[in-house]
Amino acid sequence: MKTLTETMRGLAARSPWIYRINAGSCNGCDVECATTACIPRYDVERLGCQYCGSPRHADIVLITGPLTARIKDDVLRVYAEIPDPKVTVAVGICPISGGVFRESYAVHAPMDQYIPIDVNVPGCPPRPQAIIEGVALAIDIWRERL
Amino acid sequence: MLANYSALFAVLAFPGGLFALAIGLALKGADRRLAARLQRRVGPPLAQPFFDLVKLARKRTMVPDIAAKPVFLGAPLIGAASMLLAAALVPIAGVYTPDPALGDLLVLLYLLTVPAVVLMVSGSASGSPFGAIGFSREMALMLAYEGPLVLVVAAVAMRTGAGMGARVSFSLSEIVAYQQAHGAFLFDPMLWPALLAFLAFYPANLGIVPFDIPEAETEVLEGPLLEYSGPALGLFKVMSALKAVVVLSLGIALFFPMAPAGLAGLAVQLAKLLLLMLLGVTVLRVSCGRMRIDQAFRFFLKWPLALSLLSLVIVSFA
Repeated sequence: MKTLTETMRGLAARSPWIYRINAGSCNGCDVECATTACIPRYDVERLGCQYCGSPRHADIVLITGPLTARIKDDVLRVYAEIPDPKVTVAVGICPISGGVFRESYAVHAPMDQYIPIDVNVPGCPPRPQAIIEGVALAIDIWRERL
Repeated sequence: MLANYSALFAVLAFPGGLFALAIGLALKGADRRLAARLQRRVGPPLAQPFFDLVKLARKRTMVPDIAAKPVFLGAPLIGAASMLLAAALVPIAGVYTPDPALGDLLVLLYLLTVPAVVLMVSGSASGSPFGAIGFSREMALMLAYEGPLVLVVAAVAMRTGAGMGARVSFSLSEIVAYQQAHGAFLFDPMLWPALLAFLAFYPANLGIVPFDIPEAETEVLEGPLLEYSGPALGLFKVMSALKAVVVLSLGIALFFPMAPAGLAGLAVQLAKLLLLMLLGVTVLRVSCGRMRIDQAFRFFLKWPLALSLLSLVIVSFA
């Protein structure tokens, strides 16, 4: 028999709010993220997801871009503002390895040197289906952390 | 003593409190679902606002370093509490008549301004520049829409009072009883301008799209709510769900409180609320863009104010 806490956790896990951080991305992945949410075909609101404008409201963070030197401190600061429990998804090849910017002096990739990454969604840019799968995996991880 | 307990029950369980919250959340869910369908999406489940609330209750509340902590955390409590009380003040035709000791229409008018004030206070207490922008917009919008609301209420009160041989009647129960005896104000040409003014007022009070200027997500990132997280943000969601029920029920009580007694009356009330929410809120918010604050301010000081004033003048000379 499920306890009340578990039931509540199950209900809470159906409301993952998504926040996007652009860590110096070329905007390709951001366009794909926006496509995933905004067009009817891939409607992620059916999973209970909702894009929010404030890091304080976020549960799942989508990070794009190779973490450029210029933006690193700001990304870490915004990341710290997201209340726990949270799950991080790296979207695109840049946060995973640096992609075409790898070994550049201006780039601090891979991202997981600074921020714990839970799900990697590779691609340049990844397809919307891949991003949705990444979000679905993140929801499973998030359920455990709630 | 018994009267005290029934008042407490009215505030906490029915028709305020749990009942109003459940209805409010269900209405919000229906609104989001229909909005998705109108955009040819699947949309979230009907219980989505409820899931959101459970989620927010399990998150951590963070307070920014520069925020005034007692005000920042106290404001949402006051907002939710005021709406809880307001929900117990609105009669449901044939089902519920509020205890006169709880307060009349004037108390309800004051309570209806509390959420806007709470948003202003919390926006400025959060210390965020977006909160400050939200604060100034909320204040401008409130100044613009409160006038028409007061005049609409005064027109309805005078119409009822004139019909009952008195000068004015600020008791919502009397207004409902009068309409049930003499026909709804919806079909009274003297009050049509007031009805139009009310139809312009409630989207602004509920913060939906043509007038969601203070919380504009895409401009000021939900303004006053920007720095809130966890249970405190949940209280704001509770407040807005309750406010939807209160404002729409007030509209029903002022203009069309026709319903059979008993459980059927409750069903009719729910049907009216759902209809108002879907036609008046969802269709409106998916079919327009957002106004600028100066446009909204000018709009409210021009049309709704003139219409409600016209209604008041007609009623007082009739």
